[in-house]
Amino acid sequence: MAFESPNIRAACVEATEFMDLTRKYRVTGVPKTIVNGTGEILGAVPEDAFVRSVVTAGPDA
Amino acid sequence: MALLSENDRQAVRGYLANLTHRVTLLFFTQTIAGPETAQIAKQILNELAGLSDKITIEEVNFILERDRAATYGVDKIPAIVVMKDGGDTRMRFFGAPSGYEFMSLIEAIIIAGGDDSGLKPESKELIAGVTKPIDLQVFVTPT
Repeated sequence: MAFESPNIRAACVEATEFMDLTRKYRVTGVPKTIVNGTGEILGAVPEDAFVRSVVTAGPDA
Repeated sequence: MALLSENDRQAVRGYLANLTHRVTLLFFTQTIAGPETAQIAKQILNELAGLSDKITIEEVNFILERDRAATYGVDKIPAIVVMKDGGDTRMRFFGAPSGYEFMSLIEAIIIAGGDDSGLKPESKELIAGVTKPIDLQVFVTPT
């Protein structure tokens, strides 16, 4: 998604290396996607659902 | 001792065989008193770069180049910023790219080295409607 849009940035974060963030976002299972520090998407969701979730969790929604 | 087995190296070489653009991996790290994972990350990246002539690793000192790190939104290390032909693809990896993260990095390199994100047209349409910044952080583990 990041490749597609200049407005989207995506990071893969290794949960065990950054425990403060893992705790902050209450990551208990992976993958867990945090959108703009507040929205959450749990698990490896299919593309359609994921893109829709991100776009609706984002500030344009 | 190489981190990738010979079979893995062959497989990865295959995945990277069709890159058409230059991919630079900006590797933010700390050489003195840095996290142990930074060493692992460096080794993985060096092995990766050896598998394709389209991939370059550029090491950036996180402490000495704070401004540059800030420009890319890098606030923790080790960090990898995936660049395509010198431009930011906005894809990032925080932590040593081993296990699950390694394959995700390979996929990111393949996307960066080509011209298509691989997403469906419907997805691209939805994404085109995004006008405000969205920051995604995907938490993963190495296993």
